Amino acid sequence: MTEKEAEEAPRIGVYVCHCGLNIAGTVNCEAVARFAATLPNVAISKDDRYTCSDQGQELIKNDIKEHNLNRVVVASCSPRLHESTFRKACEDAGLNKYLFEMANIREQCSWVHIHDKEAATEKAKDLVRAAVAKVALLEPAIETEVPITRNALVIGGGVAGIQSALDLADTGYKVYLVEKEPSIGGRMAQIDKTFPTMDCSICILAPKMSDVGHHPNIVLLANSEVQEVKGYIGNFKAKVLKKPRYVTDECSACNDCTEVCPVTVPNEFDIGLATRRAIYTPFAQAVPSTYIIDRGICLNKEGIMACDKCIQACERKAIDFDMEPEPLELEVGTIIVATGAEVYDPSSLTNYGYTRYQNVITSLEFERLINAGGPSGGNLIRPSDRKIPESVAFIQCVGSRSERGNPYCSNVCCMNTIKDSLLIKEHWPDVEIHVFYVDIRAFGKGFEDLYTRAKEEGVIFTRGLPAEIVEDRKTHNLWLIGENTLQKELYKINVGMTILSIGIQPCHDSDTIQRLCTLSRTLDGFFMEAHPKLRPVDAPTGGIFLAGCAESPKDIKDSVTQASAAAARAGILMAQGKVSVEAITPKTIPENCQLCGLCARVCPYNAIAVDKERKLVEVAEAACAGCGTCGAECQFEALHMRHFTDAQIMSQIDALVEEAPDEKIIAFCCNWCAYAGADFAGVSRMQYPPNVRIIRTMCSGRVSPKFVEHALSRGVGAVLVAGCHPGDCHYINANIQTRKRVEKLWKKMDRLGVDKNRLQLLWASAAEGEKVASKAKEMQATLKKLTPEEVEKGKQAFAGS
Amino acid sequence: MVPRKLWRRPLDSEQIKLPKAEIHIIPDLCKGCDFCIEFCPRKALEESDKLNKRGVYPPKVADESKCTLCGFCTAICPDFAIFTTEKKEETSRNGR
Amino acid sequence: MASGGSDSMKIALIPKEIREKTKSCFECGICTASCPMAELLQPHYNPRILLQKTLTEPEKTLNEDTLWLCAWCYKCYERCPQGLKPPEIFQLLKNEAVKRGFLEGFERAVSKIADVPLSVISLYTCFHPERANISVEKVAEALQKAAIIEEQIPGKAEANQRKKIAIVGSGPAGLTAACELAKAGYPVTVFEALPQPGGMLGKSMPAYRLPRKALESEIQLLEDLGVNMRVNQKVGKDVSFEQLWRNGYKAVFVATGAHKSRRVGIEGEDTKGVVDALEFLWKINMKEKITLGRKVGIIGGGNVAVDAARTALEYGAREATILYRRSREEMPANPWEVNEAEEDGVKLEFLVAPSKIMVKDGKTTGLECIRMELGELDETGRRTPIPVEGSEFSVELDTVIVAIGEEPETSFLPREIELDRGRVAVNPITMETSMKGVFAGGDVVTGSATVIEAVLAGIRAASSINQYLTKLKLEGGAY
Repeated sequence: MTEKEAEEAPRIGVYVCHCGLNIAGTVNCEAVARFAATLPNVAISKDDRYTCSDQGQELIKNDIKEHNLNRVVVASCSPRLHESTFRKACEDAGLNKYLFEMANIREQCSWVHIHDKEAATEKAKDLVRAAVAKVALLEPAIETEVPITRNALVIGGGVAGIQSALDLADTGYKVYLVEKEPSIGGRMAQIDKTFPTMDCSICILAPKMSDVGHHPNIVLLANSEVQEVKGYIGNFKAKVLKKPRYVTDECSACNDCTEVCPVTVPNEFDIGLATRRAIYTPFAQAVPSTYIIDRGICLNKEGIMACDKCIQACERKAIDFDMEPEPLELEVGTIIVATGAEVYDPSSLTNYGYTRYQNVITSLEFERLINAGGPSGGNLIRPSDRKIPESVAFIQCVGSRSERGNPYCSNVCCMNTIKDSLLIKEHWPDVEIHVFYVDIRAFGKGFEDLYTRAKEEGVIFTRGLPAEIVEDRKTHNLWLIGENTLQKELYKINVGMTILSIGIQPCHDSDTIQRLCTLSRTLDGFFMEAHPKLRPVDAPTGGIFLAGCAESPKDIKDSVTQASAAAARAGILMAQGKVSVEAITPKTIPENCQLCGLCARVCPYNAIAVDKERKLVEVAEAACAGCGTCGAECQFEALHMRHFTDAQIMSQIDALVEEAPDEKIIAFCCNWCAYAGADFAGVSRMQYPPNVRIIRTMCSGRVSPKFVEHALSRGVGAVLVAGCHPGDCHYINANIQTRKRVEKLWKKMDRLGVDKNRLQLLWASAAEGEKVASKAKEMQATLKKLTPEEVEKGKQAFAGS
Repeated sequence: MVPRKLWRRPLDSEQIKLPKAEIHIIPDLCKGCDFCIEFCPRKALEESDKLNKRGVYPPKVADESKCTLCGFCTAICPDFAIFTTEKKEETSRNGR
Repeated sequence: MASGGSDSMKIALIPKEIREKTKSCFECGICTASCPMAELLQPHYNPRILLQKTLTEPEKTLNEDTLWLCAWCYKCYERCPQGLKPPEIFQLLKNEAVKRGFLEGFERAVSKIADVPLSVISLYTCFHPERANISVEKVAEALQKAAIIEEQIPGKAEANQRKKIAIVGSGPAGLTAACELAKAGYPVTVFEALPQPGGMLGKSMPAYRLPRKALESEIQLLEDLGVNMRVNQKVGKDVSFEQLWRNGYKAVFVATGAHKSRRVGIEGEDTKGVVDALEFLWKINMKEKITLGRKVGIIGGGNVAVDAARTALEYGAREATILYRRSREEMPANPWEVNEAEEDGVKLEFLVAPSKIMVKDGKTTGLECIRMELGELDETGRRTPIPVEGSEFSVELDTVIVAIGEEPETSFLPREIELDRGRVAVNPITMETSMKGVFAGGDVVTGSATVIEAVLAGIRAASSINQYLTKLKLEGGAY
């Protein structure tokens, strides 16, 4: 399709689909088709039983050729379902796919107004009229392709990051693996055994760690931090700071330096259960194995060398106090975020006495205690007297499923406790073990077996959490006081040690990663995936993928599965070597642009750059996701939002309010949540008043105040702006602008004496069809009270918009 | 929330044997530059309240257990007025 | 799906938001295990089950006696993982029960309350039938009669118990233990430092919360039971601790409460016009004249602060403002009573800390304050207040009442009795201290707490003392 063709007068073909009786049972499709034939620029209008069928598509293709159509409208189901089908048909017939438009007369008409055939038919006519008006103004577009750099950045060196890095490296891509700690390994390295198979954790992890260290395609950057990420899918530039270890690669990990180092502190790896020196390696299997000096506690401060014991002890002369931080700039095509999670700190639950009672420990501390390589040599000793306790208790859900901690289930604690109880039974069968729980969630492969085994081994499971732990000051034994909620009896149980089965929570610095990679987070604080079912490892930002506990709490198996999936997803992109970008990005109109920079400020993707010197606003097309919030912000009509232009949307409004505007509600719905929610209402056959007319935009952030004002000036009864819940925006946070704009409009309406109830804002997710339906009902009620004077007032107030 | 501070006494805290130090000061050699006090990385020294022959306040030991035998005081002292030796616990007990 | 009728009934009984929130209860049992009443009336009272019933069969709960047995200590709320407030949920149902005239449950509850030691005092300070528009005085009368009748049942206490017991302190913990032990036939002597028995009940509890008559009648009942009440006898001053052993006492129960007020530690604290809350309430209770001036500020967020504020308004202050350094959620005071104080006209200022008393001519003229913001969680599980720089401001005040908490006074105790952070350390199950034959309970162990918790401590101690004196062996104990 050439531009010349598009410039020709529009010749539109309209196809009204019966969808069997799904539409035709309510809407008089023949009447709608006849009506469409009367609309301007319509060359041909037909109704058809199943337009999406092969015959239906053939009909369109033939008509395009036979009748020389240059625009097509199909009135049928939701564009979310079949837009791509019909676009493909148009393309097959030689018509540019961007010259096609759909009218949603099924999910948003016939299915939701089943009992009002007349009104449904009228609504279908309106929707077709709007589609015809828009399609006449559509422009052909060619999708641009962006090349993809065939390098990947993996952030986080836990088991998820390790797996992703190895998979990508084995596929043949170069991988930068950045880890902030001195060694990779993450939480899995701290754990003793894994459930349900009871494999030794470090024994299965260490070979993988070592593979990372030796892989020719992996650049391991431990003790390093990502400081900046710029660019877009396929073309990221990441700044990484490699912090000095003060020990060179010459280090042979002989430990001579550590033996002479005079400074000791509690070791982070053992959660303070053992000491380390100022020069140290976090654990025996650390990768890289090169030692590191903790300058925070080393006697040698900036410029003063007080102690040279390690230097003296090192035969290979590997110690270098002059090492400097090394800033690196990496060019990568894809990024995998595998930053992991932290454990919940139970010290704020004062009734459990953690930090007050020596013998109350956390499940992570337990892992170090039971580990043969750990500080107690694998002996389950309690801290107060270093003796093996006669009885222990586990308390579940500490900091999980609670308003006082985190509201979600941490997923791994139940099985971890069962595993731990079996470990105790294996070594010390006489130790009495109590597990206090509210629900045992043993849902995975092999999990139930393990649970059964624990019960067989004599682990006592009691339903009901202790309300309080009190310590016997003489023996340092602990009294657990609670209610057995199955027996409805209070219990007071005396044990030698208590293990708090603590939950998992997002890393305290995950907001930094969120900012750097423009990610979204769910209310729980974990990173949000692009789609919970079908794109579970894609981040909403193109080219970025999620793996491991950064996305949600999960066990090792799930982390590794997700890591391989993320590597595969990243690999697909890099194998293709290029990516095409939907042609819905803005084009700048330089002659209108005042270089104010407002568009750049509201862009959630930093895709707009204002170059004051060259007097240019540039849109990085590949970075842009097409939300259109820049277009809504621009005061000077300097941004042409392709496929959702001001003129196109205005024409839709005009078409929808051509008849009886004061009885109608114009609803602007974002493609991902509100529009999908309205579709869901249709699928669920939730009935609502038929006077709602929905206009689809990609994001509610596209809704410019002038659209609303225009609608009011045309005397529309009410306007609804609907988008994703704050925090769930498909375009990171563009809907924050929506809220601001609507609030501003409310103020303006107030000032102008227009009833501000006529403009409503709704947050509805794709699953909240009910919300859309009830909002429609609610607005219908207010519409009934609307007086002609009020309508006139609105018209006057916004006349000329 | 920032990661919790490590609060326990490490289980191996008794096994870790760091050499014990004995700090020797020869007060009358000191000219009172205070370098040793200022630069001691563990702040094991402080100014004494007795004047020496040279009319200055020489250092005195504030807390001998803090000394790690790094020897920096010896190296930095312009007057050879301070040095450290490793304390042999048994011999010192036998010596009495 | 539930039928329309019962569904709308549920809506009518409990507001939707509370009902929705209550659904998050996953029955961990922490509320019941925290509840002093659940232990006292074991197994009859179980707030967890009651709470579940309010969801599944709200109408049935209206006739339950358990609905009326909550003692408003909010221990359940303090620990509930979901932050539910069972006392307030139960209150909604109580209101409904009264509205519909369902009072059988309440009447049965009264007979249960009669079994609680110090039933009349507990009624006034813990059960609060007046919150559901039931006359507390009438119930008190009935309880009193029941108590007198019970006392007249002979033979229960055989005088075969010769072993003398000394109880130090006559607050709710001491009185409860005295009552229980006297009933078991022991000769009990209560030593009280003040000229009247009752401890905090008489000293600082405002008369609007506990009429003097109720306290006096309870004491009378105890004396009728044979308890020897010795006022103006401060152990450690008038009688030494060692003397107790010499005088033949075989067991001692230390229940001296927490009477030592903490100081704010700011400039001008000793100025005229700055008063300690306990002292203020004590003077009011002793009918001493007090000039408060027009504006009174109360520093603190506990129950004593709330009592002091309400009392200040009652005794002539035009304005009483509570200044608390954290937010409302962190206030240790009983939330219901905070609301009541607000209804009385007490003003609340949150996230404010005093920095200096303003003084003119030796008299207090106001308070310099600084705004706070909440930081990380501290060791008490609450968020630490941090001063906001440059947010200093001042308020004009005629009187500043300091109510930032009370600590036990323990200097009179022998050294053998170990302390834990200023409080007497006990075996949590048996209430024994580290000295043989000495038990302790109430605020002296826990720090300031509610009456019902002190009553429970008294009961636990009495049972341990009985066991100790009969068998010299304690279940769960070290001896």
